[in-house]
Amino acid sequence: MKRPRLFSLFLAGSGLLLAALILLPILALLLASSPSELLQLLGNTEILQALWITFLSSLLALPLIFLLGLPSAYGLSRCKGRLRRTLEILLELPMVMPPVVAGLALLLAFGRRGLLGELLADIGVRIPFTLIAVVIAILFVVTPFFVRRCTVLFDSIDYKLEETALLLGASPWQTFWHVSLPVVRRGLFAEGIMALAQGIGLFGVIILFAGNLPGRTQTLSLAIYNAFESDPQQAFGLGTLLLLIALLLLAMVHMLAPRERPI
Amino acid sequence: MSNLAFKLRYPLAHFELDVELSVAPGVTVLLGPNGAGKSSLLRLLSGLNKPYSGHIMLGGSCLFDSTQKIDLPPEQRRIGMVFQDLALFPHLDVSGNIGFGLKMRGTGHGERQRRINQLLQKLAIEHLVDRNVATLSGGEQQKVALARTLATDPELLLLDEPTTALDPAARSEIRRWLHTILIELKIPTLLVTHDAEEVAYFRKRVAVMEQGRIVQSGSFHQLLREPTSEFVARFVGVNYIPGKVQRCDGKLFFCSHGGLSFLAPFEHVSPGAAVLTVFPWDIALYRDLPVGSPRNHLHGKVLDVVIRGDRVRITLAREDKLVAEISSRGYQALGEPQAGEQLWAVFKARESRIENREELSC
Repeated sequence: MKRPRLFSLFLAGSGLLLAALILLPILALLLASSPSELLQLLGNTEILQALWITFLSSLLALPLIFLLGLPSAYGLSRCKGRLRRTLEILLELPMVMPPVVAGLALLLAFGRRGLLGELLADIGVRIPFTLIAVVIAILFVVTPFFVRRCTVLFDSIDYKLEETALLLGASPWQTFWHVSLPVVRRGLFAEGIMALAQGIGLFGVIILFAGNLPGRTQTLSLAIYNAFESDPQQAFGLGTLLLLIALLLLAMVHMLAPRERPI
Repeated sequence: MSNLAFKLRYPLAHFELDVELSVAPGVTVLLGPNGAGKSSLLRLLSGLNKPYSGHIMLGGSCLFDSTQKIDLPPEQRRIGMVFQDLALFPHLDVSGNIGFGLKMRGTGHGERQRRINQLLQKLAIEHLVDRNVATLSGGEQQKVALARTLATDPELLLLDEPTTALDPAARSEIRRWLHTILIELKIPTLLVTHDAEEVAYFRKRVAVMEQGRIVQSGSFHQLLREPTSEFVARFVGVNYIPGKVQRCDGKLFFCSHGGLSFLAPFEHVSPGAAVLTVFPWDIALYRDLPVGSPRNHLHGKVLDVVIRGDRVRITLAREDKLVAEISSRGYQALGEPQAGEQLWAVFKARESRIENREELSC
């Protein structure tokens, strides 16, 4: 189809503007610190600790996200009509919640004076301002996104594959494990990495619910916030570090993501 | 030898499925127009959908009984079903697909491999063993899908239009192949099809389904002699003229809905609604009406001419349609009439068949 020239120019123009908007800040950040500065950062114990907390919390959260998210996503994709819409709205709730508000809400649920606080205190568990709080914060924010994307993935499975498995004598458990999951395995890997990337970047919810305790709950995002107040140059370096990690994960997602819809 | 016997009711979008049938070991063809409920019936039998009421007996065991609240899940029914689009597992290779059912039943690796090889050999598809299913042709996929189903030793086999998705060249090969495999099986097999040649391969037992009901069952030959509905008549290629038998001056004659009157062997009919059927090859065509014996005739316009091999099928239309099938030599002798020309169609009363019948409302 041949478009009017002016219209094509308009489309190309807005596309270029958007690309500039995305690439300019990224470029600025990458130019802000030299490779040697970045390497120097990796010699800093506090920063290494933040890096460690970042990865540890995300990696601890990941299996829990799968454990909670996969059955929920599968169940949701098998729901129809009003029930499904209601459940989807429930999932969207944490998505639209401002991160800071989410942190406050978590504090009020699991904090010392929160809804479950006394119960948890009785069994000697204190959640806020611990690594567990970081993990819960990641779970709270990331799982709904994960479930929603996985639901779409499960929706794309040809239901006849599962019916065929049943007719061949597989139980519903076996069908889920040996047909439904493997059929979308590439997509699931990609979603896992996506969840990892999302968890690594959290800020507001963690600072309120888990605090900003170096070596205990301070993730890389929080370390940037700290550094920005005292040593902006270090903050830029940390920012670059975090950006590079994110880019690496993005590359992995695209290597794994199914190139076409699963059959 | 186990039989399948069932009586099922299930509401569909435009009518209710209400079927009672008994299927002996061997192939029974289930024939019917699109949307007659054939695929729905297979889904009910296999347990993928739950009938509203009724029962399903397979051999000595009850798979479903609404009054006794018995409803075995599909994985316990031991029913093999091949969907029209096959649904091969895309994440498994050919032997992984064929061995799937055995693996799920806990059959060990060695025994599984032995069974897979046995089947591959029996179905003459050993060369496909390590292939990725995405690289198989339509016909090969069909063979693997059937092998996968047979691997679990089903007690009932359901095939939903096995050759519809194939291209014409593969279709005739698969038809032949299916025939050689299926006649060996000693289990009841329901084969859903639209394909007249497939029916020709399995011509002994045919059940016709329309609007959710079995309207006729018998051999293909019976269908040809006594089609009970316009669909069957059209499917087997017989002229089917609904109308009524009337008495005039003490003599009976048949009056079609289109308003034409014909004579027929009236020995076993009484006045009232009736259907007249006549084979296309019993109809002669003329440019001018021949004088002589009292014959049934229709003067109509040629609607279309279809030449198939050395036979030519010509459809004439006036108030009613008549299809005549003549030899190509006869067609040449007529001067190769084309659409739009006028011809006389003539057939003898005793070459038609007539039966009292209420018409099936469509």
